Amino acid sequence: MSHSNSFARQDAIFARVTQFFALIVLATLVGIIATLVIGSWQTLTQTGPKFFVSDVWDPVRSLFGGMAPLWGTLITATIALIVGVPLSFGIAIFLTEMCPPALKRPLGTAVELLAAIPSIIYGMWGLFILTPLIASIQPTLTATLGKIPLIGVIFQGPPMGIGVLTAGLILSVMVIPFIAAVMRDVFDTTPAILKESAYGLGATTWEVVWNVVLPYTKTGVIGGIMLGLGRALGETMAVTFVIGNAYNISMKLFEPGNSIASSLANEFNEASDPAHLSALITLGLTLFALSFVVLALSRWLLSSLTAKEGKRT
Amino acid sequence: MAFQVSLGENAAAVASDTKIELKNVNFFYGGFQGLRDISLKIPEKQVTAFIGPSGCGKSTLLRTLNRMYSLYPGQRAEGEILFNGENVLDPKHDLNALRGAIGMVFQKPTPFPMSIYDNIAFGVKLYESLSKSEMDDRVEWALNKAALWNEAKDKLTQSGLSLSGGQQQRLCIARGIAVKPEVLLLDEPTSALDPISTARIEELVSELRKDYTIVIVTHNMQQAARVSQHTAYMYLGELIEFTPTAQIFVKPKDRRTEDYITGRFG
Repeated sequence: MSHSNSFARQDAIFARVTQFFALIVLATLVGIIATLVIGSWQTLTQTGPKFFVSDVWDPVRSLFGGMAPLWGTLITATIALIVGVPLSFGIAIFLTEMCPPALKRPLGTAVELLAAIPSIIYGMWGLFILTPLIASIQPTLTATLGKIPLIGVIFQGPPMGIGVLTAGLILSVMVIPFIAAVMRDVFDTTPAILKESAYGLGATTWEVVWNVVLPYTKTGVIGGIMLGLGRALGETMAVTFVIGNAYNISMKLFEPGNSIASSLANEFNEASDPAHLSALITLGLTLFALSFVVLALSRWLLSSLTAKEGKRT
Repeated sequence: MAFQVSLGENAAAVASDTKIELKNVNFFYGGFQGLRDISLKIPEKQVTAFIGPSGCGKSTLLRTLNRMYSLYPGQRAEGEILFNGENVLDPKHDLNALRGAIGMVFQKPTPFPMSIYDNIAFGVKLYESLSKSEMDDRVEWALNKAALWNEAKDKLTQSGLSLSGGQQQRLCIARGIAVKPEVLLLDEPTSALDPISTARIEELVSELRKDYTIVIVTHNMQQAARVSQHTAYMYLGELIEFTPTAQIFVKPKDRRTEDYITGRFG
């Protein structure tokens, strides 16, 4: 009797302890939101919604609009995903479906090591290697792709190599290891006989991956992409090096821009004016909200994909 | 003490043309030899069963027929497998066309993560571009053939995974039939199913043999006796005996076959 009592007590203590750990997460989250809201209160009350539509960022005149860094964050993250997701997908398909066994380990490890490189290294690599490279090919791109009506404008801008496109490309390299590693792991969870069933019908590797493996693993794949997007939205150091830090909204990808994380890193030290500080914290709050929106969007995307595949009863 | 297997009315073998002929087939998993010098003729529009203890190579043999093994590096087959007169082991042989002509069903039901309709349409789309109404007809035809239409017709848009295990396996058979193959390979198709679902699959196999050449791998000797006309007994990668089913269970030629089917096998 006493034995089973001590069992029950132990379990109860264990439950409480783990519950406490879980609640810490919640408390931290609430604490961060509260701090951000308090810090941004001045901007939210004085500038109001105008903060999110104004692109004027002038600390001297104490005018702050967050549109430009918000735009830069979204654009660089979008470029990162447009370049990074297909590449990661290709890497993952190769590693799971076609790679000779002798290459599988070394290549997989190389992809994971790419994630371990500190972001400052990516930033320096971007500034010293990628920027001159972009600057050297940019005139050609502007002279050719830049002439295309409507979309040509995105290939225009000053030939400095520094700008939104360079930042996006650096970010794509940084998100690839995350997305590719997750995709590889979830592709590996697809049962061999499910893939063989599709191969057995005469499907090619592409048809198997696209029609069977991808739907089967969609939850994990979208999770991996969101992980990469999270990194792309919040990445600071590497972006600061190459984005140009100019409060500028433009469709021209070769023009310098700014991102939320980058402006925070650059200006926090010199923000002596409370209005400036509050504006920066508001940017932080915006980034936080953005992450929530991204998460909500991925949930919605996932549920609509599941609905498309047929109801389960 | 002879172990009696009830032979189905199917067991009587009828003279028939050869659909697939294996000539001295050897198979290797890297350095390990999984099949040794297998030669046999699989008759057209009949059911041929491969039986034998685990690891004897019966599934391996099945997987050479549509070259499924070629997905895996290190696995290779030697010899000749003549299907409609062409050697399918020839690397130049069109693999996708081969797999269109030889369908396969696995140990566990493997519906694709899509609707019942799309499960059937998936394979068809690989070979033919049909209009919506032609595709509707094909889906209905295949589900009818697999004795699933009545159960599935009201839920074609639902996920294939919403069906029961036995229904899922019939969906997989329907999926294989839909591309109009000549041969169906069944790799222990009922090993994950309950007895009632198993009986329905066996009925279906007997029905399908009118139109298709069927090769079935089974652990269950009763099943081989019930559905097949020819049975191959394999042991340690060798083909020990290949005879009409009626004969192998009543009067096996080889001592090893007799030991296995009478349960004296150690």
